[in-house]
Amino acid sequence: MKRIVVVLLTLLLSGLFSSTLFAADTFDLVIPLPLTGKTAKFGEMMKRSYEMAAEEINAKGGVKKKKIALSFEDSGAKPETARAIVEKLIDTKKQPIIVGEYTSACAKAVAAVAEERKTPYLVVASADDDITQKKYKYVFRQNPVNAHYSDSLIDFIAKVVKPKTMVILYESSAFGTSGAEAMAKDAEKAGIKVLLKEKYEAGSVDFKPLLSKVKATQADVIYMVSYVMDASLLMKQIKELRIDAKLFAGGAAGFAIPEFIDNAKEAAEYVITATLWTPQLKYPGAKEYADKYKAKYKDFPSYHGASAYSAIYVVKDALERAKSWTPDGIRDALKATNTMTAFGPVRFEDKEGYQNQNFTDTFVLQVIKGEHETIWPEKYANKKYIFPIPTWRERR
Amino acid sequence: MKKYLPLLIAGILALLPLIGLSSYWMHILILVIMWSVIGMAWNLLGGYCGQVSFGHAAFFGVGAYTAGILYNKTGMSAWWGLPASIVVVALFALLIGYICLRLKGPFFALGTLAMGVILRVTAENLTTITEGDLGIMIRERTWIDKTYYFYIILILAVASFFVVKKVIESKLGYYFVAIREDQDAAESLGINTTFYKTVALSLSAVITGLAGAFYTNYMGYIDPKIVFALHDISIVTIMVVMVGGVATFWGPFVGAIIMVFLAELIRSIPKLGAAHHTFFGILLILIIIYLPNGITGDNPKLKRLLRMGKTT
Amino acid sequence: MTAPQVEVLLQTILSGLLLGGLYALIGIGMTLIMGVMKIINLAHGELMMVGMYIAYVLFSTFHIDPYLSILVAAPALFLLGVFLQKFLINPVMKVDAIIPENQVILTVGIGMVLANIATIIFSSDYKTTPVDYATKAWYLSDIWKTSPIEISLSLPWTVSFCCALAITGGLWFFLGKTDMGKSIRATAQDKDAALLMGVNVEKMRVVTFGLGSALVGSAGCLFIPIYYLYPDLGGQFTLTAFVITILGGLGSTVGAIVGGLILGVFESLTSTYAGMGWAPVGRFVIFLAALIFVPQGIMSLFTRKRFGK
Repeated sequence: MKRIVVVLLTLLLSGLFSSTLFAADTFDLVIPLPLTGKTAKFGEMMKRSYEMAAEEINAKGGVKKKKIALSFEDSGAKPETARAIVEKLIDTKKQPIIVGEYTSACAKAVAAVAEERKTPYLVVASADDDITQKKYKYVFRQNPVNAHYSDSLIDFIAKVVKPKTMVILYESSAFGTSGAEAMAKDAEKAGIKVLLKEKYEAGSVDFKPLLSKVKATQADVIYMVSYVMDASLLMKQIKELRIDAKLFAGGAAGFAIPEFIDNAKEAAEYVITATLWTPQLKYPGAKEYADKYKAKYKDFPSYHGASAYSAIYVVKDALERAKSWTPDGIRDALKATNTMTAFGPVRFEDKEGYQNQNFTDTFVLQVIKGEHETIWPEKYANKKYIFPIPTWRERR
Repeated sequence: MKKYLPLLIAGILALLPLIGLSSYWMHILILVIMWSVIGMAWNLLGGYCGQVSFGHAAFFGVGAYTAGILYNKTGMSAWWGLPASIVVVALFALLIGYICLRLKGPFFALGTLAMGVILRVTAENLTTITEGDLGIMIRERTWIDKTYYFYIILILAVASFFVVKKVIESKLGYYFVAIREDQDAAESLGINTTFYKTVALSLSAVITGLAGAFYTNYMGYIDPKIVFALHDISIVTIMVVMVGGVATFWGPFVGAIIMVFLAELIRSIPKLGAAHHTFFGILLILIIIYLPNGITGDNPKLKRLLRMGKTT
Repeated sequence: MTAPQVEVLLQTILSGLLLGGLYALIGIGMTLIMGVMKIINLAHGELMMVGMYIAYVLFSTFHIDPYLSILVAAPALFLLGVFLQKFLINPVMKVDAIIPENQVILTVGIGMVLANIATIIFSSDYKTTPVDYATKAWYLSDIWKTSPIEISLSLPWTVSFCCALAITGGLWFFLGKTDMGKSIRATAQDKDAALLMGVNVEKMRVVTFGLGSALVGSAGCLFIPIYYLYPDLGGQFTLTAFVITILGGLGSTVGAIVGGLILGVFESLTSTYAGMGWAPVGRFVIFLAALIFVPQGIMSLFTRKRFGK
């Protein structure tokens, strides 16, 4: 027994030091993301997408004849670990650019390190507004900020639904809180009265007490900012309680992923959600990416995956234009980015108090016959929206 | 020799930054030392006094938030959080002690566990004071160079080491151990157990709170889910001590090395991906089965095991 | 009170009771283990996760209804529990450590390994068993056409609740009427006395841990139709189980049911009237209150103190 332990330990340690040497004809990119813990699902999806992009680029000859060699490190969604990984990348591996992370807390830890060490950091899917509000020079963000997630959604609601009242439910996290606050502000601007704004602990089993309170308010719109499965539980229990609002709306995240429909099934029908990306978009490569992902992993990716996939192309683009492959060279190249990706156009702008922030259009999806269809803005729509929606009793 | 060992090790540690370690290794070292501080604090209460707390995240979080709120509300440097946290955490410790210390054994453990969760949710909900889930971010950390942080946490660690040592070697220490071994017997000998348990808890809490305030300054961002984490703070604290060695002076340090340094090594084994948790979990199981008192605690046994490994 | 207010209150209490019944089943497993062995099992939620994955695999490959998969999951979890107790926990409990709580690390380690193995096998994706009846419910207005208020009762929740009660009933019978059950209770009450009376304490511990695991595994099967599944879901249910165990009193099955129901209703009421963000605080406040004021558990309030207790 003791021997086995000793042998195991030696194996572990020898494994550590053996594989650090790489041939020089590759560009090594180590990406920190959560592979364990509650957010591992998104880490996994992004990992697959990064890999797909790198494979495609390598198949076409790589970047300036160098192949991109990706590897991943698990941060477990812990800021200290994320920081440790990035310190190592910058210091020991001299990696000139950092890409990755998922949760906003980790992205903030990484952003602070990247800025201090003057190494560009491309944020891929962390939505907290203040990551790009800190006057950081080296932090770039590809996904829109949380405050803008629901721009199209509020537009749709104001133009089509014209509600008088609204209820906002959100999960207790940085993402949920800032999403709910942004919506409350937008709603007020549009003249919609927010009757109830309440948060819940992610992972709750029973929403019925909260929902029966919501039912009693008889609000026109129920807006929910939820991660993953809370979204489908909410809709299932709304169906059970037969809460007949004029519209059920979700704020991206949990409502925009395919699992939402798989799990909530008929309860998901007619629900609309904000999203940053959909497979039906006419961006170059969007459909190909989505189909390829589906063929390989059986399900469509959500915007997190698309953003990750495109991030590798953005990096490639920056590397090709960079005068030198040093942190500053790449930073300048990133700053001048003006490219089209499967995730949409990417340009890093300084406006509205944000720095190096990409602003893209957001979209509205509606679940129609068990599929997410793009319904808003109209120029992107591939199906006509369904409104008004039938009551639960009529549905059967 | 033995008398000077702590000074010697502190001296070696103090010289480490001079050999030009990369900032990655400095980060790991800082974390190791920070965790040994928390471990020493827990050890005082859990190891010596026998009150196993599952809620040290409560004190860590209160310390961290003292610094954070001070910075956020008054604009003072978050470093003032270190002295301020002593007062605030001590008050919290008295309150938590008043509620939980009447409980014994596993009930005390569960009571403190509940306190940790209650404080987390409270911090999430009191948005006017704590900013809730959005957390508190320090705009600019004081130094980029890690050496300063290293020396600050090292000073904190050395100070806690000597405080714990002094306390344990004084009369207080004997009372603590007496309470651990048999609370009723200690009581009947005229030891005011509630009083001494409160002393142990407050001291332990204050040291943990200092580490929390340091964390705010060092990481520059806190939110309730991070600093009041049940698993990542409270339980890791227990593991640091138990793996390292319960009721030993060096246990927390050894434990912190395992829990931070070894965990980091295992985590960064290439190609292992998410599976590193399995390795680490098995390692923990093996340690506790073969060395139930931790590595330092079962030192003689460990030596014997190793020798046997060589001869057979 | 106006009609809508009554409706909110009734619906809240109803869903609280249903939730409480399910919580109770998770709690019973822990109350047995904690009662008999006095250990804090931090891998409890992970055992539930294993049960849920068994139900998931059976559903997705053989289309077996999650409720039926209890028949597979419970024995499987029993064996897993027996294995864990025999080869990992017992050796640690036997040695005399300074702090007896050192088994905590062991259970943390076991939990870590179980969750991680699940991640490796099933990836960290969210899994569900989308059964047809997932959102079926009965409505008061369907039965009583002119009802001023509307109350709904979910089908899967009700089925899960009834199964939980049936399992608890079976357990209560087992503990109360069979020899083995009596031996387990004796071990819980006084280990040394039980030993003197000829009870094989070692064996009882193994059986208890197996039984506790089987119970929480079946709870997993009952949960999956109304919830979802991913490798890291264990932690929150471990916490719930602690609360129920303390509320109900160590080792008391009836106590666990009462504790579960109280917890469910209390949580529902806080969600409705204090805000769902505060609900976890409510949970742990009653937990602390129970720890301090009724350390023997709720049931001790109802039973008169017996001689020698």
